Amino acid sequence: MPIEYGLNEQQEMLKTMSRDFIAKECPMTRVRELMKDETGFSPELWKKMAELGWLGLVFPEEYGGTGMNFRDLTILLEEMGRTVLPSPFISTLLLAGLPILAFGTKEQKDEILPKIARGEVVCTLAALEEDGDWWADSINVRADRKGDQYVINGTKLFVPDAKVANYMLIAARTKRTENPEEGITLFLLDTREVWGILSTGLKTMDETRKQYEVVFVNVPVPAKNILGELHQGWPIMKQIALHTTAALCAEMVGAGEKALEMTVAYLKERVAFGVVIGSFQALQHRAADLVIGLEYARSLMEWAAEAIKEDDPDAITAVSMAKSFCGDTCKKVVAEGIQMHGGIGFTWDHDMHLYFKRVWASDTAFGDGSYHRELIAKALDEIHQLAGHGRWMKMPGRITQTG
Amino acid sequence: MAVEETGKLDALRQEIRAFLRKNLPKGWGTPEYVAPERGSKEAHELGKQWQKKLYDAGYTGFGVPKEYGGIERSREEMAVIREELTHTGAPPLAGSLGPSIVLPTLLRYGKEWQKKRFIPKILSGEESWCECFSEPNAGSDLANIQKTGVRDGDEWVVNGQSVWTSGAKFADWGVAPVRTDLKAPRHRNLSYFVFDCKSPGFEVRPLRQMTGDSEFGETFFDNMRIPHENMVGEEGKGWYVAMATLEAERGGGFQFLAPSRRIELTSLGGVDNFVELAKNTKRRGKVVWEDPVFRQRIAQFAIENEAMRYSRERMRVKAQKKQTTGNEQSISSIFSREKNQRQANMVAEIMGANIQFMKGDKRALDDGSWAYTFLRTRGNTIETGTTEINRGIIAERMLGLPKSRA
Repeated sequence: MPIEYGLNEQQEMLKTMSRDFIAKECPMTRVRELMKDETGFSPELWKKMAELGWLGLVFPEEYGGTGMNFRDLTILLEEMGRTVLPSPFISTLLLAGLPILAFGTKEQKDEILPKIARGEVVCTLAALEEDGDWWADSINVRADRKGDQYVINGTKLFVPDAKVANYMLIAARTKRTENPEEGITLFLLDTREVWGILSTGLKTMDETRKQYEVVFVNVPVPAKNILGELHQGWPIMKQIALHTTAALCAEMVGAGEKALEMTVAYLKERVAFGVVIGSFQALQHRAADLVIGLEYARSLMEWAAEAIKEDDPDAITAVSMAKSFCGDTCKKVVAEGIQMHGGIGFTWDHDMHLYFKRVWASDTAFGDGSYHRELIAKALDEIHQLAGHGRWMKMPGRITQTG
Repeated sequence: MAVEETGKLDALRQEIRAFLRKNLPKGWGTPEYVAPERGSKEAHELGKQWQKKLYDAGYTGFGVPKEYGGIERSREEMAVIREELTHTGAPPLAGSLGPSIVLPTLLRYGKEWQKKRFIPKILSGEESWCECFSEPNAGSDLANIQKTGVRDGDEWVVNGQSVWTSGAKFADWGVAPVRTDLKAPRHRNLSYFVFDCKSPGFEVRPLRQMTGDSEFGETFFDNMRIPHENMVGEEGKGWYVAMATLEAERGGGFQFLAPSRRIELTSLGGVDNFVELAKNTKRRGKVVWEDPVFRQRIAQFAIENEAMRYSRERMRVKAQKKQTTGNEQSISSIFSREKNQRQANMVAEIMGANIQFMKGDKRALDDGSWAYTFLRTRGNTIETGTTEINRGIIAERMLGLPKSRA
């Protein structure tokens, strides 16, 4: 399947359906109720999403899915972003479901994927630790071999939806060598079957997405619960990061577009000095800048999603570019959203701060703009060294895949 | 892609390479090659000859109906042509105004005879065009055009002045909106003409820009006569025709030509050129490419270029589905032009004191082309409609905000 620009008919339908569904099932009043809830999780909403086929969207039919592609998935994520939907969707699908599908054993897939598709379980990934940065060196939670099982000890931070997760992937250190990427292993835990896991809710800015500290005290895991190979968890983590980063971009663009719509609507209705404030050029031009930013944020986000869908080697570049641009742009959109609303935009009751907080939280995850720009700089360097001048524009698949 | 098609494209690639070996100016691409002075008659002639060769070989004129001298090419073929020509750094074309702005305007509003007469020679480069739009008191406020046309039999007698006339120096033909109704209100008082630059009463004086070059002109209309049949679109509806011209200009309507050199020229080449420059420049003993600030800025341009590439494709598909309004051009216009300027600023900062050397100084890097571009990009955010005007278009026409002026 080639790269597609814009939505096909099926995708247009998915977009309309999901927008209608979320508007009906989780309007902003409901979002605020879930914010107050300790876990922010609505089992009813989860069940309904499963009934619509969202939770198995990208799984093959043999696991109860509908076999749709990654770009289709990002359409849902954009819509979820538009309402800052509190839901363990990313945790379950991106942080656990997709890696299990890609790297799991037949037994692991048979056990978990159909349950995800049916909406019976929530999953998550415990990866980050004290410094909150996504890099191999900071993974210090230990898994020590004891007989035919491993024993996990240590503390994970910023684990989304931990309290409601039935299955948890844990990135643990099984070996420490000079190369920090070596010796990380992913374990798959059924949280209801073991003792010694303590999840404590973190008091964080974005209340629409609950995060936890998870402490592991002598938690036993059978060796068969390793996802992928022993010591070889980091490459899996890299793929998780690639996919989840693209997903967050989709969510951010959805949130950014909605925030701009809200702001423009306000510019048209708010009267000051006897005219609507949207007639002031100072505000018009700033609103125009946000339109420009979002145009290119959307382009990079769609490219990233298409590249992942296509298994294109450019996906890594595309995702880094998308994350840095979408993050920068959407942070600007929500900040301007507050400013252009004036005092009302600074209140708790107005929704703009929910978008502000969600976008900033997403921006900090999986590397922010400057982190990803440095990755691009490294790539530019490699390209330059490989073939010198002009190589950049000549990267394979760049121009010829436009059909 | 089917194997057969891939084979065809490879054949086309080989064909273009053979064409280039045969037709490029002697010594092209080697240090011995001396390019004609920018903006000189020789440069213009070289561009014209080159465009003719491209046209005869079928490398330009895409998407223009055959009866007007166009050629059908698949997306993939166009991409191959663009790629090959861009990588050779093929010579710039003579006056891009004909293909980029006059052609789309004529296709949309031109009379049948006008299309048949003018479009083939626009594509082949045989005739160059100038654009008489801005006046001393009608720049951003274009509707304030004061140039008048009075009907006299089968002709219009035109008087007035234009400034910033692009391509005036070597133009064979021109386009101009003229005030043909002195009583009608703004936007309904203009008619749009094509005219012969050899007509008596038409005079071009060079207008020197801050770069030191005179790529634009001031043009004067002194009782110049234009045949009535040269009117494009209806009498009194010239504003809309002019808008079509500007839309094409803002969008850089280059789809009819393969080798779009303009983007590269104004953006100082691809990002790889910046990497090259940063690697070869030391500031206070430290290689610039190792400075995280500049690495970040260069990477940002790579990101923005890819964003623009993908956006162009999205717009193309949207246009095919008839989901565009034309106002989207303002987005890419603002973004690309401001990007050019930011890039040039960065280059100047990388070079430090050395950016000051202009062409002719033996210390000038690349014969002063970086310094020239640095200065030239100041005009990018003004020409074809200031970025402020374009922001207004986005605000009013895309976001539906109320008019900010009476």
